[in-house]
Amino acid sequence: MIEWIDSHILSLIIFMPLLSSGMVLVPSDKYKAQWLAMGGALITFLLSARVWGIFDSSTATLQLVEAYHWIPDLGIRYIVGVDGLNLLLLVLTTFLTPLVLVSVWNWQQKYYKSFLSLLLLLEAGMIGALLAFDMVFFYIFWEVMLIPMYFIIGIWGGANKIYATTKFVIYTVFGSLIMLVAAISIYILHFEEAGFYSTSLLDLYYISNMGANTQALLFAAFALAFAIKVPIFPFHTWLPHAHTEAPTGGSVLLAGVLLKMGTYGFIRFAIPLFPEALLLFSPYLLGLGVIGIIYGALMAWMQRDAKRLVAYSSVSHLGFVVIGSVAILNNRLSEEALTGALYQMINHGISTGALFFLVGMLYERRHTRMLADFGGLAKVMPWFSVCLIVATLGSIGLPGTGGFVGEFLILIGVFKVNSAAAILASTGVVLGAVYMLSLCLDVLFGPVTNPENSKLRDIGATEKLYIFPLSALIVVMGLFPNYFLAKSRESIRHLSHHLMDYRLTVRASQASKDTALLATSRSRQHGDLP
Amino acid sequence: MNMAAEFTTEFYLAALPVLILASMCVGILFFPAFKISNPNVVFYYVLAAIGLTAVSVFARGEDASLLGGAYLADSLSGLGQILVLAIAFVIAVLIGETNFRGQFFRTEIAATFLKTLLGMIVMVASEDFITLFVGLELSSIGVYILVGYAKPSRASLEGAVKYFVMGSVASAVLLLGFAFLYIATGSLQLRGMVNGSEIVSDLWLQFGFFFLLVGLLFKLALMPFHSWAPDAYESAPTGITAFLATAMKVVIMVVVLRITEGIAFFEDQWAPTLLVVSSLSIIAGNVMALAQSSIKRMLAYSSIAHSGYMAIALCAIGYRAGFTYQSILFYLLGYILTSLLAFGTLMWLEDEEHPNLHVDDLSGLVTRHPWAALSMAVAMFSFAGLPPAVGFFGKFFVFNVALKEGLYTLVFIGVGGSLVSLFYYLRVIVHMYMYPPSGEQLKVQPHSMRLGSLLAASCVAIVLLGTVLPGKTLELLRPIAMSLASDP
Repeated sequence: MIEWIDSHILSLIIFMPLLSSGMVLVPSDKYKAQWLAMGGALITFLLSARVWGIFDSSTATLQLVEAYHWIPDLGIRYIVGVDGLNLLLLVLTTFLTPLVLVSVWNWQQKYYKSFLSLLLLLEAGMIGALLAFDMVFFYIFWEVMLIPMYFIIGIWGGANKIYATTKFVIYTVFGSLIMLVAAISIYILHFEEAGFYSTSLLDLYYISNMGANTQALLFAAFALAFAIKVPIFPFHTWLPHAHTEAPTGGSVLLAGVLLKMGTYGFIRFAIPLFPEALLLFSPYLLGLGVIGIIYGALMAWMQRDAKRLVAYSSVSHLGFVVIGSVAILNNRLSEEALTGALYQMINHGISTGALFFLVGMLYERRHTRMLADFGGLAKVMPWFSVCLIVATLGSIGLPGTGGFVGEFLILIGVFKVNSAAAILASTGVVLGAVYMLSLCLDVLFGPVTNPENSKLRDIGATEKLYIFPLSALIVVMGLFPNYFLAKSRESIRHLSHHLMDYRLTVRASQASKDTALLATSRSRQHGDLP
Repeated sequence: MNMAAEFTTEFYLAALPVLILASMCVGILFFPAFKISNPNVVFYYVLAAIGLTAVSVFARGEDASLLGGAYLADSLSGLGQILVLAIAFVIAVLIGETNFRGQFFRTEIAATFLKTLLGMIVMVASEDFITLFVGLELSSIGVYILVGYAKPSRASLEGAVKYFVMGSVASAVLLLGFAFLYIATGSLQLRGMVNGSEIVSDLWLQFGFFFLLVGLLFKLALMPFHSWAPDAYESAPTGITAFLATAMKVVIMVVVLRITEGIAFFEDQWAPTLLVVSSLSIIAGNVMALAQSSIKRMLAYSSIAHSGYMAIALCAIGYRAGFTYQSILFYLLGYILTSLLAFGTLMWLEDEEHPNLHVDDLSGLVTRHPWAALSMAVAMFSFAGLPPAVGFFGKFFVFNVALKEGLYTLVFIGVGGSLVSLFYYLRVIVHMYMYPPSGEQLKVQPHSMRLGSLLAASCVAIVLLGTVLPGKTLELLRPIAMSLASDP
């Protein structure tokens, strides 16, 4: 039994949420649906914890690979695998989803079951996109993420929800369609070079003689899709709307995982597939990242709406992740910066997730998110205040929180590559302290000006259940970064050192050794497989 | 060859679908003589006729060319006949569940319906111009009548007359094309017309082929030959619209696939022309669909755009690779399923006061009829080409073919069109799911169990074809595509 689970564990992780997403709709009472959803999400989390446990961090090899034929006429396959680059994000996703489910436990909204179902569908989409090593398979899940989020914002969102959700979908689909064309093009290029059809990323990494112009064009197409998702500066305009209008759970998953799919896409697809184009585009991406950091910070500073403030802070923080992923020196990606970027993705997911939860709590109690309506909550809601301060410090990147480790590594790495960019980016850290601390100040301290605020109840048991783990994790990730980073070290080193000739070797999950062969017809030809 | 020798068991088996449907078609005309006018009897008679014919399609053995190459029973004609009959069966059941039942299952209308079907199954199996033309006229005249007379009203008569006038012109053009081709080759055969040794005149051949293709493009409602479609779609009863949008497309597409060797032969002339036609259809179809508030009219324009997408692959057909045919057939399959779902849901929601639903009428639909809203949403996502619905793979395969042939402009037009289409497809979803309910509520047809399960089945099929089954489906289509690609 255990063996069977281990050999199909990644598929189980993808299809467990999918299955429970359907099952949630079956029972007629809310209570059963809740437990079904929670059960599915928890099993998924446990499975991913198992992956964390059996993952071999001493190698950059792709592990636990499962591969099956899917559309043989076109060489499209179902390939999933895990390595140091997606393991952390996988666990973050499966960790955040049950917390979101807890946060909506006592929700009194319409269509409650559908909401749960969509959340789980979203989880399945995110996990599928993270684990996919086949271009088409990835694309399907990339788009599957879109539909639940569209409904989550559009049905349960705030006053301006339709504008927000339509803008979100149109922006994203625009990017993905361009990416689709580029993906088909690279597939055809691969066919012309290798003589067989494959959409497997493992095969596509082998393409070697792509013209410089072709590479630049294709990189630009992929980068556009990912840049919209991240979002990088000029493409960010959908984000504040989507975040502000989304219900709390939607915002948490949007900020926590969905945005990371963009930066993950850079690391997994755009950068290793088109390294020469990256050499060309790196300065521009660095520039856009820095602009995003400063612009996002300044915009966040200006906001009077707490949720909008956190949304803009995401733009700023993801700017760090972007500059960390594209810092390139002597044909190598900066190892520190890349490590920092990966770590920062997780940190941002956790601290921003916590912030959205906290803002959501405020909104539930007062039905307003305007900073001016609050003040002096520290005395009224002590536990709330502790959590808010921890999340704020994590977001600022105070030493002792995960944010510090991530930002510090990014800045060191980028400084070696482009000191001006690093210096400008570090102003973002300072500005981050300014807007986040002023958020704390406005909400928590000072006199209680509004009598309504003096009667607010502190966070209850259910709320503690989801906010405490996040707060604790912010500190744990700051104090023991090595425990997390060790998992990714080899993969990051491999990507960084072999940027120009990136390949992935494969280790199949125990039972499916034969299917692993079909995952890498190309590497079999090259004799890379053991 | 002795004619008598042809009438063997194989002959009758291969011709069985036509024989059965024709005799059932004649049979229904005797109903009034026996004073049978009960719609129930007619309903089951029609279903039986369609079912028997569909079963008999499977009865034939080897590929056979009958009557000196007038009627061809091969895998493509089999696919076409099964598709047409399946569509007709679904639509007949759907109509049987709505308040259109009483009017549609009158003997004369049902007979027209069967006669239209007969024309269609002859057309997909025709190998020469005479059979093709007979089939085309049988089905076209039937459809004109169904559009205008099945549920007479001022609007539907107007639509029918427009359709009739334009359709007749198209038929005339087609006939002219046949004549020219006959002058050029001295043969009435559809296949082998360009590589026959008896070609007398290249000019006649070109002209003939031009008229032939224009006639077919007209029937496919591609821009700029589309003007009949929106009116006919909007004014016809929804069941008939669905029939028009799906079965007619299948039939014409099959005929187009049969003459691709001509397209390939005149590639220099036709590749650019088809390129213009398909990009016009995609751009104008999508943009004009944006402006529509009537859902049926919107779907009419969107179907123009979808024909445009299929024409993208036609542009690449000059290269005659097997996968090109697979991609067109797959797109067609997805389009049919999605259309049936969309129109079926509309039929479910319509009532006497709302014969022509507008987007506003669907506001807040999810609060009253969540399942209707869900099936409409699945249809819209599939039309828009978002995974995991089948529409995505349709577009993916077509783009794949086009990029392989280097048709970059066309692909970018297609991508742009998809993006534009998202606006109007999403508008339907926004109304259904995100707007508060409108004042007056739509009634759902009372006895809708059968209808609901049909719609649910097509929802499931759309999702399965978009996720698990595309590989298997392509494999099934492969032999058909190969036989087309390897034709002399």
